[in-house]
Amino acid sequence: MMRRTRLRRRSARQSRLTLGPALLAFWLVVPLVPLLMWAVSSRWSGASRLPQDWGLRGWQEALDAGMLPALTRSWVLGVAVALIATPLGAMAGRALGWRLLRRPALPSLVLLAPVVLAPIAVAMGLDVVILRLRIPGEAAVVLVLSVFALPYTTFTMRATYLGLDPALEEQARVLGASSRQARHRVTLPAATTGLVTATGLAFLVGWSDYAVTLLIGGGQIVTAPMLVGSSAAGSGNDALTSTLAISATLPPLVALAVFTYAASRRRTAAQS
Amino acid sequence: MSELLTSGSRRDIGREALPHGGARLVAPAVLLIMVVTGTALGAVVATSLGLLPLVGQPRLSTDGFTTLSGDLRAATRESLLTAAIATLLAAAIGLTIATLALRAGRTGRLVIALAVAVVTVPHLVGAAATGLLLSDVGLAQRWSGVSAASWPELVAGRWPGATVLELAWKESAFVALVVIASVGRRYADLREVAAVLGAAPRAQWRRVLLPLSGPALASSSLIAFVYTLGTYEVARLLGRAYPEPLPVMAYRLFTDIDVAARPQAAAAAVVATGLALLVAVITLPLVRRLGADR
Repeated sequence: MMRRTRLRRRSARQSRLTLGPALLAFWLVVPLVPLLMWAVSSRWSGASRLPQDWGLRGWQEALDAGMLPALTRSWVLGVAVALIATPLGAMAGRALGWRLLRRPALPSLVLLAPVVLAPIAVAMGLDVVILRLRIPGEAAVVLVLSVFALPYTTFTMRATYLGLDPALEEQARVLGASSRQARHRVTLPAATTGLVTATGLAFLVGWSDYAVTLLIGGGQIVTAPMLVGSSAAGSGNDALTSTLAISATLPPLVALAVFTYAASRRRTAAQS
Repeated sequence: MSELLTSGSRRDIGREALPHGGARLVAPAVLLIMVVTGTALGAVVATSLGLLPLVGQPRLSTDGFTTLSGDLRAATRESLLTAAIATLLAAAIGLTIATLALRAGRTGRLVIALAVAVVTVPHLVGAAATGLLLSDVGLAQRWSGVSAASWPELVAGRWPGATVLELAWKESAFVALVVIASVGRRYADLREVAAVLGAAPRAQWRRVLLPLSGPALASSSLIAFVYTLGTYEVARLLGRAYPEPLPVMAYRLFTDIDVAARPQAAAAAVVATGLALLVAVITLPLVRRLGADR
């Protein structure tokens, strides 16, 4: 009798152990399911549970709507933001991580400040100014998004430098390397994972931005999120919206998966 | 040659050891942020006070804040309500995800991978997907068998249900990853010690994981809160027309045909920024204190 109760208790615990992860996986995955379904349906009207016609109508319409040039523009925007925010963030992260500042509190606060600010407020203010100074909208969008990417790159690199020993760089210099050589040949290779993470985060800020590009670009800079936004807000074409949304999501996700796989391969190779 | 390199490097080490070496390193990032946000926020405040009109003479007035004061109050309430509920949900679910990911081996890794994927999904895509899931002709309605007429008004309804759920969804993954990254290794060690000393799983969670993850949970929740206060696209796609949150109100008035609405648009942006700064100033010491315990 006692044994049976114990067994039952154990099986209840077992089911709790699998139910929890299943529920959480459900919470994380379920919002994306409609996108996947609508992206492969050509007709899905009324209240029917499954599409009447499966097909790739949405993809054809997305191509016609200019998906490829928009993805290219998003890619350029992401790269531009990463090119500005990663080196600046790496420099600031080095100073903060290696405690090279006498009073780090105020610079740290400034470097964190963009996290608190509403992008739409900053974009609105800058829009007023660039109109008067005749600065091209593209440059203003890159500048604003770089500012919003800086907290991520700075604090990723701060954490990276915290984990690196400055003595290593000093040893390289004592052995005859210039400070530039020591930085490039010793410290930066050791900080690769941090640098790639920081670059990826900065890229994502540019790649996935909607509000800043919409406000400053005034609809003239058509990136992938612009297409997703206008389709979701007004087209009523769910297949098109889903296709555009998936195209705006997959590239960074695939890049991340490839990088994670390569990093794990490298680690396994290093261990064996 | 090597003599030259050595002397050069010695000089460099000496220079870097000085504090202003650090100042030179942070200067470009700090300057960029100060110039861009300083100019932008200065211009927004000036616009809200009538000092930067698109046409006509500048004239100092608080009309931007008072003309639509009722709408501004409603938008503030809507923003705070949405941000507060979404953040509470994100913190609770994020901590649950982190707990599970840290305890379960392979399933834990799967949950972490899913959370990473969710973090990379743009909020705009999340909002579009949530609309397709929760609207009265959405996937949830189709699959649950509830008639469209009796389906709850989650999208564009009386309560910002879909907006809150989308924000909680994305931010819960963010909170989970921050907590996992900050406690990971230490929790594994301390949990083993606690288990050897006879602590039950619940006690391990309450006495080890919760105190360890406190600082990361607090700071990531603060970031989630100020983010949700300032976000535009989610409420734009999933919220109702009135009352709208502050960023949506700001953008709508900013793009109004009537350029006289510009000061009111700027006023909504100023209130949103002021609220986020206020919350950060109030809670930052608390977050710091939690971190200082370690």
